[in-house]
Amino acid sequence: MHHRDELVIALAGQPNCGKSTIFNAVAGFKVNTGNFSGTTVSFTETRVLLGGKTVRLIDLPGTYSISSHDLAEKEARDFLLSGNVDVIINVLDSSILGRSLELTIQLLEMNIPMVMALNMYDESQEKGITIDMGLLKTLTGVEAFPVIAVEGTGVRELFDAALRISREQFMPVQPVYDRDVEECIADITLRYPAAVRQALDMDERFVIIRLLEMDEDFEQRVGKIDREFLGYVTEKRRSLAEMHNWPESGVFASHRHAVVFDLFEQIAKVTHKTGMNIRERIDHFIINPMGGLVAIVGLLFFMFFASFLLGDAISGIIEAPLDALGRKVAGMTGGIAAIAVSGLYDGIVAGVGIVLPYLLPLLVLMAVLEDSGLLPRIAFMVDGLLHRFGLHGKSAIPIILGYGCNVPAIMAARNMEYERDRVLTMLIVPFIACSARTVIILALAGKYLGAAWTTAIYVGNILVALAVSFVLSKLQADPSPGIIMDVPPLRRPYPSLVARKVWWRLNEFLTFAWPVIVISSLVLAFLSHAGIDRVIDHVLGPITAGILNLPESTGITLFLGIFRKELTLLMLNQALGTGDVSLILSSAQILVLVVFTVLYIPCIATISTLWKEGGWKVALYSVVLNTTIALLVAGGLAHLLHVA
Amino acid sequence: MKPPAAKSMISQPPEKDRPLTLLDLKEGDTASILRITGGRHLKARMAGLGIREGTLVRLISAAPFRGPLLVEDVSSGARTMIGRGMAASVEVCDHAPS
Repeated sequence: MHHRDELVIALAGQPNCGKSTIFNAVAGFKVNTGNFSGTTVSFTETRVLLGGKTVRLIDLPGTYSISSHDLAEKEARDFLLSGNVDVIINVLDSSILGRSLELTIQLLEMNIPMVMALNMYDESQEKGITIDMGLLKTLTGVEAFPVIAVEGTGVRELFDAALRISREQFMPVQPVYDRDVEECIADITLRYPAAVRQALDMDERFVIIRLLEMDEDFEQRVGKIDREFLGYVTEKRRSLAEMHNWPESGVFASHRHAVVFDLFEQIAKVTHKTGMNIRERIDHFIINPMGGLVAIVGLLFFMFFASFLLGDAISGIIEAPLDALGRKVAGMTGGIAAIAVSGLYDGIVAGVGIVLPYLLPLLVLMAVLEDSGLLPRIAFMVDGLLHRFGLHGKSAIPIILGYGCNVPAIMAARNMEYERDRVLTMLIVPFIACSARTVIILALAGKYLGAAWTTAIYVGNILVALAVSFVLSKLQADPSPGIIMDVPPLRRPYPSLVARKVWWRLNEFLTFAWPVIVISSLVLAFLSHAGIDRVIDHVLGPITAGILNLPESTGITLFLGIFRKELTLLMLNQALGTGDVSLILSSAQILVLVVFTVLYIPCIATISTLWKEGGWKVALYSVVLNTTIALLVAGGLAHLLHVA
Repeated sequence: MKPPAAKSMISQPPEKDRPLTLLDLKEGDTASILRITGGRHLKARMAGLGIREGTLVRLISAAPFRGPLLVEDVSSGARTMIGRGMAASVEVCDHAPS
C-alpha cells in the first residue's frame, strides 16, 4: 500500500506524553491538550506541508503497551499495523523515561521506521536525568531528539528526521532477549506457516512475540488459519514459563521489562536532586487529604466567582454601546425589513453581549485547569466520596469538563475502563451546568436573585446529579471496581497555549453556535410575527404554566433551548417583550426557570454525542431521565414557592 | 525525586498469616512489590503504569473517605493512584533502608 504521494506519520506514545501538543505545534491548535492521561480519546489527523511534501499526520490516543485490552489502545495499535504508516514518531515523557521505554521496545518490534521525541526534556534535566542519545541510537537504531513541545523546541528537527527516515526506509534494531527466549522464537520461526505470513502481512518476529505474550486478538487471528501452529506456540510458551517459574501470561512481559530496564540503565544516568521546587511544594500540599480538599473546593469556588465577576465586568463595558444601537433598531418601522433587522440585532447582541462575557473567563479557567494537572488530583481527592454515590474518581474528570461543555465531557468518559462506570458517567454529565447554562445561571440568577441563590443553584445542581447517580448505581448489580490512574506532575500552564486553546474553543462558538443563535433569533422574530410561537407556547402550556407556574410565553424559549441552551436566555427577552425579565417574572419564577433550564433535556449536540458514544438507548434514557428530574425538581420548587 | 527517607521500616505489623500489602504502608514508607494477585488484565494495567513485581514503591499519600492510595515508582518518580481494592492485591515486602 506504499504507492501514495502522501507520507503518513503517526504520533504514538504513552498517555500524557505530549503527542497532541507536538501535533498542535505542527498543525496549529486542532486537538485538545491537557495534563492528564486520556485527553485524546480518538484519532485526529491533519494534512501538513513539510519539506515540500504533503504529510498526513495522525495523533493517536495514548497507550501504555500494545497488548492492551482497552478499546482506544487496540484501535491505536491496529492503525499502526494497518500497513499505512510510513514513520512512527514515538513520543516519550523523558522525565519518566524508564516507564516510557516499555512502549518504545514494543513499537520497535513492529519493525516500522521510527524516530523518538524525548519530550519534557527540560523536566528530565531538572530531575537530574542525563540521556546518552548517541548510545540510544546505537542500541535501538532509532534517532532521538530532545523536545519541549509546549515551547515548540526541537519539533522542527524531529520532523526533519522523520522525513529523512521515510526516504531512507531505515529500520529499527530489534531488541534481543535472553537466550531461552531467543531460542524459543527461533524454534517457532522455523515452523511459521506460509498461510499466516500471507494472511497477516506483518513482521514475523512481531507476530510470534504477540503470540508469546498471549495476545488474545492475535491468537484468534492465527488460530483461524493454523490451529496446529498455535498449539505449538502455546506449548513453547508453557515450557518457557515453567523454565523461568513465571505465570504463562507474564513470562514474556517480564523478559521485556528486563530488556527495558537494561536499556534504561545503559542510556540514562540519574543524579538524585534534593529539595522540592515550587510546583512540588504546591503538590505536596494538595495531595494531603485535608489541604487538598480545602484547596480543591476553594479553587472551584474561585473559578465560578471569577468567571461571574469578570463576565459581569465585561458585559457592563459593552452594554452601553449595544443599548444605543438597540434604540436605533427599535426606532425602525416598516414591515418585513424591520422584523428582520430586529431579529438579527437580537441574535447578534445575544452572542456578543450576553454569552461572550461569561463564556470567555470560563474558557480561560477551564484551560488552566486542564493544563495544570489539577484534574487527576481532584479525581484522587474525590474518588472515595464519589464511590458512595456509585461513581468513580475518574468520573470527576468528565464531570468537571462538563462545566465547560458536555460534549467533550461525554467523550472523556471513554477514559473509563468499565462499561458500568462509563455509562453512569455519561448519564450524569448532562446534569452538569455547562458554560451555556452557566451563562443562564449568571445572567438570570446572578443578576436578579443574587450571589447566595446563584451558589445555591450550583450546589443544588451537584446534589441532584449525585442523588441521581446514587439511585442509578443502586439499580446495577456489581459495585464499581477501583480506580487506577497516572498522576502526572503539576505543570505550569503556558499562556500562549492557553490562549490558543481558548481561541480554538471560542472559534467553535463564533463559527457554529453564534450563527445558530442569530438565525434562531431571526426565525423567532418572524414566527412571532406570524403568531406561530403561540402555538408552541400553547402546546407546552401544561408544562410551563401547569407544572412550572411560568408564563406560557416561556414555552418557545424552552423549546429553542434544546437546540442551544443559550437560546432559552436569549429568546427570553424577545418572548417576554422586555429586556428586564424581573418586570414579568417574580423571583420565584426566575428561580424555577433557571433550575428547569439547567436540568432538562440535554442540547442536541449532547444528545447526538450520547448516541454516538453509548448508543441510542443511552441517549434516549438520558433525555427521559433529565426531563423527568427537571420536572420533578423545578415543578416541586414551583409548588413549594407557590404555596408559601 | 527525593531519595527514600532513611528510616522506611513498615511500622504496622499485619495480622498473622496475612501477607503485607500496599494497604499496610504508611505515608513515606518504601517497599518492594513481591507479588500481584489478580487477573492478567489487572496485572497488565498495573504494569503499564510501572507497578509490577520487583518495583520499589513509596506511599505518598492516602486520599480521604477511603479513597485511593498515591504510590510512586521510586526509580522513575512516576506516580499512580490506585484504589484500595486493587491495592489489597499488591503484596509487598519491607524494603531494608540502604
